[in-house]
Amino acid sequence: MRYADFTWYDLVLLAQGLGVSLGLFAVTSLFGLALGTVWAVIRYYGVPALTPVIAFVAELLKNSPVLVQLFLVFFGFPAFFKLNVTPVEAAIVTLTGNTAAFIYVVAVAAIDSIGRDQIEAARVSGLTRWQVLRRIIAPQAAAFAIGPLIGLMVNQLQVTSLISVIGVMDLTKIGAILNLRTLKPFIVWTAVGLLYYLAAKLIAGLGWRLERRLSAHSAWRGL
Amino acid sequence: MIKVEGVGKKFDGVTVLDGVDLTIEPGEVVSILGASGSGKSTLIRCINGLEKLDEGRITVDGFDVAKPKELAEARKRSGTVFQLFNLYPHMTALQNVTLAPIEVLKRPRAEAETEGRALLASVGLGDRADAYPAQLSGGQRQRVGICRALAMKPRYLLLDEVTSALDPEMTAEVLNILAKLAKQGTTMLFVTHEIAFARGISDRIVFLDKGKLAVDLPTERFFAEDGGLANPRVAQFLSKMRKD
Repeated sequence: MRYADFTWYDLVLLAQGLGVSLGLFAVTSLFGLALGTVWAVIRYYGVPALTPVIAFVAELLKNSPVLVQLFLVFFGFPAFFKLNVTPVEAAIVTLTGNTAAFIYVVAVAAIDSIGRDQIEAARVSGLTRWQVLRRIIAPQAAAFAIGPLIGLMVNQLQVTSLISVIGVMDLTKIGAILNLRTLKPFIVWTAVGLLYYLAAKLIAGLGWRLERRLSAHSAWRGL
Repeated sequence: MIKVEGVGKKFDGVTVLDGVDLTIEPGEVVSILGASGSGKSTLIRCINGLEKLDEGRITVDGFDVAKPKELAEARKRSGTVFQLFNLYPHMTALQNVTLAPIEVLKRPRAEAETEGRALLASVGLGDRADAYPAQLSGGQRQRVGICRALAMKPRYLLLDEVTSALDPEMTAEVLNILAKLAKQGTTMLFVTHEIAFARGISDRIVFLDKGKLAVDLPTERFFAEDGGLANPRVAQFLSKMRKD
């Protein structure tokens, strides 16, 4: 016999799935943001050996499907290097790398958008390169990047659904389980889709508030 | 003392500065005149270390700008005001002025802000301290630029065509402030196209011609028929500027 009806416990399952999706999204976004930004800063300093390596890795990550990267990390590397990799570990590594590659692109553009004239003014008044990066480039680059970053984050949330195929119990995986049990795909996938939608809206909303704060100095431009 | 000795600079094989010798003593106001492309701005950019020298040597109070460690000391002694202001757009006028004193001289914020406000007030911007550069007029921006340079209490002020991007009214605003600074004994190296003004405030006038220092004379001698005007390039330049 089989429980084909929905139960209240299904809501708990969906909430758990959403929690896993958001948790992995948050962790990989933070790691990806840190990694991608560090890569961009290394490029800004023009570190001789590292810069081309970073550019190459970012190109690889941007130009191959996330699902293929996921399979490589979960099935390929463990088989080749004789490693033990859990689904969650594979998900974190893959999504972090992929997010970092796209954040790198945004961060590079943001740093390049700062006029050389300001940097020269700061340098002649005695600021070190690090102080220029921290006080002149970073605040303006953040204001420049926040718009594209919000779009990227919303997209990366949707991309997390791919990790369900390697067995991570995220929202999509829970949806698949509920669907198999109840055989009511319209209701299940509508509910799952709605939860992703609400989560994405929440991220976009938080991002928008941050954007307004970061670009306070140009707020009057709307006049 | 700023000492420029045999300085040469090329951009992509084109000679911009060629064997330039120049000394600026404390308390002097020296104007650099010359046609566009004669190397005036490049000379300023060499003195504050924004361009690397191909030949020669520049020292500011004995600190060699070609050596990274000494450049930091040299830069503490000189302040630069730019043609296009180069303000930090994400900072208010006051923050533009206090950034370097706080970060470089490690001054306490409150102290730096009090001094910054006083500086801004001295150029008539007391009520605009909290405005962002985009909310200020060109003349106001350049006045902030001057305050930003002065906030570091430099011994030498390097001014690179600071009124070229301003209309006549705003030019007058800025020149009035520079005249006041000159009277107070601020040492200034002044790249400009404002001949009349240069004549009014300078102790010495230097004329650059195709990267070479052609004339270096006390101001009254520079404008004398048997002085600077005896040089045909100077005569040509001055008559052209008068027509414009």
